[in-house]
Amino acid sequence: MDAIVSPILLYLCLAIAGIGSVLALPRQKISPQLIGGAIAVLGFGLALVLIGLRSVPETLSDGAANPFAGDRPNPFFYVFALIAIGSALRVISHPRPVYSALYFILTILSSASMYLLVGAEFLAFALIIIYAGAILITYLFVIMLATQAPSEDEIGELSEYDASAREPLVAVLAGFLLLAVIAGQFSIGVTQVYRRELGRADASLIAEIPAKVDRAFERRGVYAGLGRMELGELADGLRVNPDRVSLVVSNEAAFAQSLTDERVSELMPAAVIDAVPRGGIVAGSIVSVQVPNDARADNLDGVGWWLIARHPMALEIAGVVLLMAMLGAVVLARRQVDLGEEEKIRALRTLADEVERSS
Amino acid sequence: MTATLLASMGETGIGALTLYHYLFVSAALFGIGVVGFLSRRNLIIMFLCTEMMFQAAGLALIGFGKYHLNHTGEVFVIFVLTIAAAEAALALALVVLLFRRKESLDASDWASLRG
Amino acid sequence: MSGATVIESIASIPSLLAAADAGPATVAGDGSSFWWTMFIPLLPLVAAALCLVQMWVGEKSKLPAWTTVATLAGAFVITLIGFINWQSGFASVTQVIEIYEWIRLSWGEGAGQSFVANFGFYMDGLSWLWMLFVTALATMIALYASEYMQGDPGYPRFFAAFCLFVFSMSCLVMGDNLVLLYLGWEGVGLCSYMLIGYFFRKPEAVAAAKKAFIVNRIGDLGLALGLYLAFTVFGSIEYSEIFRLIDEGIAADGTALSEMWQTWAIPLLLMVGAFGKSAQLPLYVWLPDAMEGPTPVSALIHAATMVTAGVYLVARFFPLFVFPDVPHYALWTVAWVGTLTAFFAATIGMAQYDIKRIMAYSTVSQLGYMFAGLGVLTSAGAVFHVFTHAFFKALLFLACGAVMHGFAGQLDLRRLSGLWSMKGWRIVSVTMLVGCLNLAGFPLITSGYFSKDMILAEAFVTPGGQIIGWILLLTAGMTAYYTFRVFFRVFVGPEHAEPGDDDHGSHDDHADDHAHDEAHADHGHGFHPHAPGWAINTVLVVLAICTFLAIPTYFIQKDDKGWVGSLVHESTAYYHSPYGHHKSDTGDKDAEAVSLAPAQPTTVLIADPPHGAHASEHAHGGTFLGYDPHKAMYYVSAVVGFIGILLAAWFHGPRGIAGLFIGGRTEAATCRMDGVASKLGPLPKWAENKWYVDEFYDLVFVKPLYVLGHIFHMIDKLIVDGIVNLFGSLPRATAGGIRPSQSGVLQSYATGMAVGVGVLLLLVWVVTS
Repeated sequence: MDAIVSPILLYLCLAIAGIGSVLALPRQKISPQLIGGAIAVLGFGLALVLIGLRSVPETLSDGAANPFAGDRPNPFFYVFALIAIGSALRVISHPRPVYSALYFILTILSSASMYLLVGAEFLAFALIIIYAGAILITYLFVIMLATQAPSEDEIGELSEYDASAREPLVAVLAGFLLLAVIAGQFSIGVTQVYRRELGRADASLIAEIPAKVDRAFERRGVYAGLGRMELGELADGLRVNPDRVSLVVSNEAAFAQSLTDERVSELMPAAVIDAVPRGGIVAGSIVSVQVPNDARADNLDGVGWWLIARHPMALEIAGVVLLMAMLGAVVLARRQVDLGEEEKIRALRTLADEVERSS
Repeated sequence: MTATLLASMGETGIGALTLYHYLFVSAALFGIGVVGFLSRRNLIIMFLCTEMMFQAAGLALIGFGKYHLNHTGEVFVIFVLTIAAAEAALALALVVLLFRRKESLDASDWASLRG
Repeated sequence: MSGATVIESIASIPSLLAAADAGPATVAGDGSSFWWTMFIPLLPLVAAALCLVQMWVGEKSKLPAWTTVATLAGAFVITLIGFINWQSGFASVTQVIEIYEWIRLSWGEGAGQSFVANFGFYMDGLSWLWMLFVTALATMIALYASEYMQGDPGYPRFFAAFCLFVFSMSCLVMGDNLVLLYLGWEGVGLCSYMLIGYFFRKPEAVAAAKKAFIVNRIGDLGLALGLYLAFTVFGSIEYSEIFRLIDEGIAADGTALSEMWQTWAIPLLLMVGAFGKSAQLPLYVWLPDAMEGPTPVSALIHAATMVTAGVYLVARFFPLFVFPDVPHYALWTVAWVGTLTAFFAATIGMAQYDIKRIMAYSTVSQLGYMFAGLGVLTSAGAVFHVFTHAFFKALLFLACGAVMHGFAGQLDLRRLSGLWSMKGWRIVSVTMLVGCLNLAGFPLITSGYFSKDMILAEAFVTPGGQIIGWILLLTAGMTAYYTFRVFFRVFVGPEHAEPGDDDHGSHDDHADDHAHDEAHADHGHGFHPHAPGWAINTVLVVLAICTFLAIPTYFIQKDDKGWVGSLVHESTAYYHSPYGHHKSDTGDKDAEAVSLAPAQPTTVLIADPPHGAHASEHAHGGTFLGYDPHKAMYYVSAVVGFIGILLAAWFHGPRGIAGLFIGGRTEAATCRMDGVASKLGPLPKWAENKWYVDEFYDLVFVKPLYVLGHIFHMIDKLIVDGIVNLFGSLPRATAGGIRPSQSGVLQSYATGMAVGVGVLLLLVWVVTS
């Protein structure tokens, strides 16, 4: 399969970025951080431009025409990507830990934006809340906790281990070797991220949550002239066609009345609305009602359903991991208390009494 | 201008975004995280860099999830978030302990742990 | 075998007996009621264990000796009872006594697809005879050793090895299969090694022990190959099966044995083993050196029993040696090697001065006689000679040992004289005389005379054996000469004795412990020999009587060439020479016997002269200068023996005993022979130096092997060790090189990991795309 971008050019860009990164890392004496950062961002930016130019080929690798060949690049993605990469560079190059953490929050935010671009709204906000809001704040706490309070004349001084990076060249070589290999390998044969296709895939999910449609209908007053359906029947109907549900007219008059409400009429096909004044629809007629847009399955529904129904084990393992982490943190944070001999004996005696009592 | 730009993004609303866009950014973040982990001597920054690598993994998972038209990627990002949180809790607790012992956050100070 | 196993095997006897009853009887004799014969090997084994225990607890008394004597006597009594039972109830029947299943392997159903080695006994005339004299002699020699070894710090060790030897010898002789034979064979070799090297602080003893062991290995290789080959041919290692097949003349797969090259190859290989163990040319060199061991050991192992194992082996497999219609290379070789050994060893024996060594060479010589006897088809004669030789050679050795014991290790016949008239030495002198007469073949009153006659006569009878007969006759004269040379020099003549260097050839670190040692602590003119005590004297007398008792056995059952011949008749060793004068008498009986005993049918053999060149002479045997050799030999060998004795008297005898002996020797060191010897040029000197055979072997085999060994040692050290060490030093060097990378700095590890993952991914990419 063909690579989306020419590997040579990609490696060239990464090499530029690497050189920039080496320069950007903090050094004791002469530290051209600014130039380095600029070069690094330039390198990554060039790579992104390269990807943008080459990302939409006329034909796919299997010879078929690419349906998205005419699409223009999405400028938001490139902006957020550059912000993310640039702030990530700043995270590793800033000599002061607090600033690193803050720049990391920026990385998180731009990542969340990129989540949004592909419609992962829930995760985008969860990321901001958990990462930026909780984890990074913990980091900030610890940074402040674990940094010696500088004396009056030392304000502005950096600790020695923050001031200089350790073997920047080796680190960059190792890291960028990995990066180049991953980026080079990933560039083969991957095409569009299908957001709209995903929307259609989510549509069938509504059959699993018919109550959502049910509530939307009730809210709009659709049920005023139509027979109410049980949730199971509703789900069956949605399973047949996620976009429309068939309902039976129970009360002619009430149904005609409800059609005057725009919220209801917009869900009905024009043919039904035309038929009502001519007396075409009577009690017992079956009417196909469109599922309202606000009742469609959205990202939150999708994530929730997939998490609970498809991957419950991941959820449980995550719970166990959190529990263990909590226990671990408790053990680590616990202070050792030395009991004296008398206290020990007393404690043992209490224990023995309890055992005796319980038996 | 913004309106034109948005209109030109095509029917999909996301413009010509391929999976590779996400994977490249993910790889870049990961590589930068590795570089930071290898070069910075401050333990906290090192852990921050591991968080960055988690972040890169999350981005890749989101991209793959959307590419395959399902939410598995997102579910696993939740999982990754959990791990990251747990890791942060334990690692930071350890860092605090280590700092109490040596009054320093330099990773090289603990070279004597090699045995 | 450990004690637990012994108990276990005793406990499981009833079930084993039941199994033996149920099993198909492969041979005529069902020996299940003879299960108690297992105590014959077992008692010595138990005694060996007991002696070992006593060694560990540091027993200082004579308890080990009495343990040994008692158990060996017990073994002898059991053997005797068994023999009498066998004689009376099962005569002419071979008993196969299965004690327990030792090894059973099988990889298929057919013949030759299983391997069974029971711990069982194959008791026929040959086994019984051997066991009788082995246990009897072992008992007596143990009694002798109880006095002889007195005061030695290794007392229990000696008896432990001694008992182990008897056990191994019993396995060798009684075993009903080749594996047990081999076990015994190696067991006696091991015990021989341990006992020759008994005085392990003495370099000569250690060297002799090693020599004996290594030379025996050469023979054992032949034996082992022979046994393998026998297994491949007969598909079994059990005697009953093998001899049944030989009797039918077919191999396990039904091929006629006469068409197989193995039929003549197996005897050749077995023969090599026999030559090693029985010290025949060219492997005899270990036996004279083996005299470094304690004298009882020399008497029992290196004169009477172990060295006859080769004769036993050949006799046991005699049907193969004389198998018709195949070349008889082995038989021919046995005859000639035996003859030449007899002659060659006699020449050396004539020129030696060490009396024990003379006896050793005479043993080699007599063993040569036995092999020659087998080679000229008189297995009965050979076995009879084994029987008589066992007693008189043990007697001779023990008498020499008594001298050695009394004179502080002095064995040089030039430094001892006139023991006859010394106080307390009369019994030794008389019994020595009896032994010498036997060895010299003094007519009518000695058993050695009759057994030697049988071989000599048969040599002349057998076609192609004339030259063998003449050489053996000459050797008989030489034997008489050197035997009486010892007697005349040491036991008669002027009284003279110089003490030896140490106490009976052993180390002298216990010299101060005992009164008798202190007596000759001041070597020289103040030396007082201590005469042998009651134990030694008793044993000597009993053995002397035994040599006489062996005479009448020649006259009972004359048809079978004596009592021993009758036993051989009822064993696999039986072979009726078609040239013998008893043929017409016993021909019919033999034909019957074939079906009972797994011996060779007489009729087949007549068509096949073993010495093929003389095909025209078969059916009527050769003559001795025109007379019937069997009759003529009585006189001829008597005359030859007399001549030998008279020559010894002339050259070495004292002045004027009864006016007959005119040697006129007045000093211990000089005699008339010295003058004669000086005229013979270098020959006596060469003979004294054993014809430089040891030096020749040293030059041709030992030195090249030594050089080769050093070359291999260097190859081993430089190349093999180098490679092996490389495997050690390479990782060490590598580790030394990369050790600095274990810096303990977290990031250097992480760098390695990152680079590693990167390279791995790169490789995957390169490989997959």
